[in-house]
Amino acid sequence: MPIEVVLLFAWMLVIAFLAFIACTFEDLESDMGSQSNPNSQVQLAAQVGQVNRFFNKAISGEPLSNALYCVTAGAIAWILLQQLEPLVPGAEWKAAVLAIPIGVLGAVVMNVIFSTTAHCGRTAAMKRFEQPIYLDVLYGHLMPIGAHAFMTTFCITCIAYIQSNLGTLAGNPALNHPFALPLLGFVWGITVGSIGSSTGDVHYGTEREFQDRPFGEGKRVVYHGKITRYASCGIRTQRDIAGFCAKFGGPCTGMTFGLIILFTNWTTLVGMQLGGFLPNLPAFTAIGDMAAIWTIVLGLLIVAALAVGNVIFVKWVRKKCGPFVGV
Amino acid sequence: MTVTPAVVEEEAPAKKGLSFKFPPEETEMGIVAGIIGAVIVIFTGLPAVIKGVGLILVLLWGMDSVRKTSKYGLGTGVPSIGVLGTGYGVVGAMMGLAVAEYGRVGQIYPAVLLGVIVMGVIGLVSGAISNSEKFIAMKIPRLERGMMELGMAGTLAILLECSIVTGSLNFNAVVNQVMNTGLIALMFIFNCFAMLHPYNACLGPDERRERTRMCGVEISGLVCVLLGFAQLALGTSPYGPLDAVSMIVFGAIIFAVFFWKFIKTCMDEAYETVGTGMIKTIE
Amino acid sequence: MLLIVVYVVIGGLLACLAAHLLPVGGAPAAMGTATGIATGTVQIMLGAAMTGLFTAASVDTFTDSILLVALSGAVGATIMICVVMFMANIIYGFGAGVVPISGRVDVDPITKEPQAPYKTPQTDGHGVPIVVFVSGSLGGFIGGFGGALMYYTLLNYAHFSAGTAAIGAISIFVANAILAAYNIRGTIEGFHDPKFKRLPYALVASFAVSLLCGIVVSLTAVLGGTL
Repeated sequence: MPIEVVLLFAWMLVIAFLAFIACTFEDLESDMGSQSNPNSQVQLAAQVGQVNRFFNKAISGEPLSNALYCVTAGAIAWILLQQLEPLVPGAEWKAAVLAIPIGVLGAVVMNVIFSTTAHCGRTAAMKRFEQPIYLDVLYGHLMPIGAHAFMTTFCITCIAYIQSNLGTLAGNPALNHPFALPLLGFVWGITVGSIGSSTGDVHYGTEREFQDRPFGEGKRVVYHGKITRYASCGIRTQRDIAGFCAKFGGPCTGMTFGLIILFTNWTTLVGMQLGGFLPNLPAFTAIGDMAAIWTIVLGLLIVAALAVGNVIFVKWVRKKCGPFVGV
Repeated sequence: MTVTPAVVEEEAPAKKGLSFKFPPEETEMGIVAGIIGAVIVIFTGLPAVIKGVGLILVLLWGMDSVRKTSKYGLGTGVPSIGVLGTGYGVVGAMMGLAVAEYGRVGQIYPAVLLGVIVMGVIGLVSGAISNSEKFIAMKIPRLERGMMELGMAGTLAILLECSIVTGSLNFNAVVNQVMNTGLIALMFIFNCFAMLHPYNACLGPDERRERTRMCGVEISGLVCVLLGFAQLALGTSPYGPLDAVSMIVFGAIIFAVFFWKFIKTCMDEAYETVGTGMIKTIE
Repeated sequence: MLLIVVYVVIGGLLACLAAHLLPVGGAPAAMGTATGIATGTVQIMLGAAMTGLFTAASVDTFTDSILLVALSGAVGATIMICVVMFMANIIYGFGAGVVPISGRVDVDPITKEPQAPYKTPQTDGHGVPIVVFVSGSLGGFIGGFGGALMYYTLLNYAHFSAGTAAIGAISIFVANAILAAYNIRGTIEGFHDPKFKRLPYALVASFAVSLLCGIVVSLTAVLGGTL
């Protein structure tokens, strides 16, 4: 194959790898701060009298908050790239090496600011339930939250940068994605947040938050609010929780996003290759239509495989676990 | 409440003599913010700091509207209505910008307000449909008014931000410098957060409006800082880089002052603030 | 100009329908108390729509057939929803030890397997059973189709630039999805859920709002000089 096509596929694999890491850390960051759905239990805990030492990071839902960090990082990186790229013509990677980390640092500052206001605001609004603000909880969690957010946002910004320059990196600028860098950051920020919220939060909410309840049942409505506040030794905080979720929930979530990025980009690229679109890129002709048709067909094959996989898995779990036993 | 005089004293020497009063009532806030915002958005030749003040007022108006509507329990959470307001805002802003060329007098664009009014009408219609018995039947009091205000506040906020970044409200200039560069995504998400985060972060039975408002002003300060950087990079202001730098300084001061006030107020008003401690179970 | 309004209205109606088909468990699902995807309606709809929009934007650079662009957006969104539901099942099955069960029906409409003996008492189901998976895939397909359709319309019939078309499509999509979320009021399992019968009310609201937004957008295109 001509060098250009090989580079396209290589960059696509890099993007899939970065996506895997990004979503793993996104789930851990939301577990570290108890964001989104399981946070309703932390809020409820104080209201039913269970004073706790959890970090109550109530920044809307994960899609919107991750979109915030990724857009901030993307916008600052974009601004810096605009200023720095004319200074190093032909070696734009030097500008990117400086611009992307600074942008991500700005996003992490935003994260820490919003986390602090959320925790203090929510705890102050629960005055009548006698929930104090523990300063060591507040100070001790900001750095881990910031570190995990740095990894997530860094990977997403790199993905956005590679995608908006994919054609240039592979030899032909016509394949650059039409969206600009901040807008790509917005799109992937929302996606990574919604995936982390739907898959990773299940492990935190169903398993770790109620770990003193029996394993193998959904958490009943009467358990709600009575979260596990005492750890193996002492009183539990988020730092204990994130270490547990990093062993199962985090990597599963990472795999979800990595597979999604891999499948969507792979079907597009393979569709282009099978339709004969590469390497000359005759756009808007019958060859272009053929490439799109191949993309759609491959995508539908993947959907069918996943549906079959789900049917097999559900039947297997039903057979192995059997009907509900117990009280 | 000693918030108001303290704010005026700290602001006056640093900035160009702005008077920062917080109207206590929600209706008055809406009227003041709407009028000031509408006036500032028409005159695009103003320095960026004055547009920043207008932006803060309009975002506070949006936050008040979200707070009023969410108090009754939406069923889907606070963020959805903030995102709705910003979504309406973007559509209304696009229309306002397109219409603006036709009423233009030099650097004054009064026709932009048509977009604001149209979005208010759409907000009213969607609120009426959401609340009416025959359709979705949310049964939230004054939902129509809340959604109308959200539509208008969202539109004014996006228009003010476009005006800050591009220095004018010319449709092609805005498309080239704001939409094609992706900065519109930054404005979208920060408007969402400025409207929904204050109430979401202070949710609880002991929530107090003055404290929630401080959080709203602090987020608007952050928006001003970021827009100042964008303005510096795009270099579109008729006043040169001084405009952008003054915007960054203004935003940073507003953010620092109100962030400090908010955290201090939260720590004073919480049940207690301790360095560390054990936990108790209250039966 | 009429074409823009028609396509925007169709896109908005499809978005509303998709929001009702997607299985949304909300906060209770994250605790294993309800069936479905463990997040809110708006969050998962936006996630699916963004993936679909991204795929559609890539495909739009080399083809100009509206059907192919919209279908590619639909397939992108479906892939995302299917992978999410499958991995959520794996976490439910191995991480929490629960069986994917629906709480709203006694017998799975597709496989005719009993649901009640496997359900934890005092919960409303947990996991993503087969009928919910099918409903979710359909929802993702329709939602991605609607979003990509609106993007294509704004890009090629109203001649906006890529960024403007994307943010315009996102805004109108968001408005419709949120109106549908108000109708659902928290959780829904899919087309087999009794709440699904409330769909026509939301379709009327979505039709009205999309019509107005479509008129606003076409006025923007005409007056802005892009049409």
